[in-house]
Amino acid sequence: MSEEDARILRGLRAGFEESYEELIARFEQPVYGMVYRLLGNQPDACDVVQEVFLKVFRSVHAFREQSSLRTWIYRIAVNEAHNHRRWFVRHCRLEVSLEQEDPDQPGTLQCAADPGRSPFEQAMDSETRVLVERALTRINPVFRTAVVLRDIQNLSYEEIADILQVSLGTVKSRILRGRDALRRELTERAEGLAEVMA
Amino acid sequence: MGMTCWSVKRRINEYVDGRLRGSELSRFEAHLSECGECELRIDEVRSVRSSLRSLPATEMPADLRVRLRVRASQERVVLLETNGSRFLRFWNAWKFRLNEMMRPITIPATGGFISSIALFGAFALTFSTSTRVVAYDVPVVYAANMSANLVPIELQSSAVVTFSTDGSGRITDYAYSEGSKSVVGQTSRLQSNNISLPCIPNVMAIAQPISGDVRITFTPLVFRP
Repeated sequence: MSEEDARILRGLRAGFEESYEELIARFEQPVYGMVYRLLGNQPDACDVVQEVFLKVFRSVHAFREQSSLRTWIYRIAVNEAHNHRRWFVRHCRLEVSLEQEDPDQPGTLQCAADPGRSPFEQAMDSETRVLVERALTRINPVFRTAVVLRDIQNLSYEEIADILQVSLGTVKSRILRGRDALRRELTERAEGLAEVMA
Repeated sequence: MGMTCWSVKRRINEYVDGRLRGSELSRFEAHLSECGECELRIDEVRSVRSSLRSLPATEMPADLRVRLRVRASQERVVLLETNGSRFLRFWNAWKFRLNEMMRPITIPATGGFISSIALFGAFALTFSTSTRVVAYDVPVVYAANMSANLVPIELQSSAVVTFSTDGSGRITDYAYSEGSKSVVGQTSRLQSNNISLPCIPNVMAIAQPISGDVRITFTPLVFRP
């Protein structure tokens, strides 16, 4: 554990306001980004992120410091997202939202526009983004988690193994199968799109 | 020794992620230079990886930032109050929940409890099922209309018999409470011949006849001519 992590932990345990603020400022965005990619839904991601930080605050005394602060928080986030998804599947899968989710609408997926690109390129980027995001939500959640942690959160294989509490071999296998599933999904979608265009 | 396509396929991700080193990397690349199919596969994996990496960062909603800070502030206050004790936190949380749950029902529950105590107290005396022992010091063997062919029971000494009566005052059963050894003769005749003669009054509770037990003491009387 780094000195910075240790300092934040000491502050959290002592109840220093600055440490709470520092922890939130450092992890809110990456944790939200990861949870959002795991759940694919903004309201759920907000609820889960709130639960994650609540758990962190409450169990900071029980943290045994055997891993880095980031790994510990990410582990909580992955578990919470997993629990939320399971709960959702059990209770809410038949519910229909009154608000129609439109992934192309700005605000739902807030995409930073690149002013240097042509409108056609921007449109293509947007299409690709939607295609990738949809493909990501379609693959097995176990593989999705591994792929998100590796390719979006840019974590090392060892960190992923630590977060998911599985062996390195299992991480490799999950990333392999996750990317393979994504490749198949994207290929199918691209072929379908090509047929429509033709 | 060169790699097979199967071995390459298993290591594609590690190669793309830059985890292959030394001879393994050389053998992998040597295979790629010869196998167009594996190279194509690597391009696909790279494409998937770059697609994922090019996904825009999802900006978290502003209200979530505020909510997180509010929760942090609340948790900090709780931490300072409980000094990090999980038990105190748990206890305080339960105390709060219990308080919130009980407060709305306290007045109706207390009123109901007091009312029920008052009502029960008012009727408590009438609930008693004990019966007064009626002192019938009647020498029943002297009953005038006793059948001649019945064998009376001879008592050697005093005996206490408990009779169970129904709501109409009829004897339904009997048992010797004390002095059963003093009874001589055919005890099965006790009820039909002798003891059924006295009229046992109904026992009432809340204006309703109830069943109960009557204890009668029999004392032998000796008549000397």
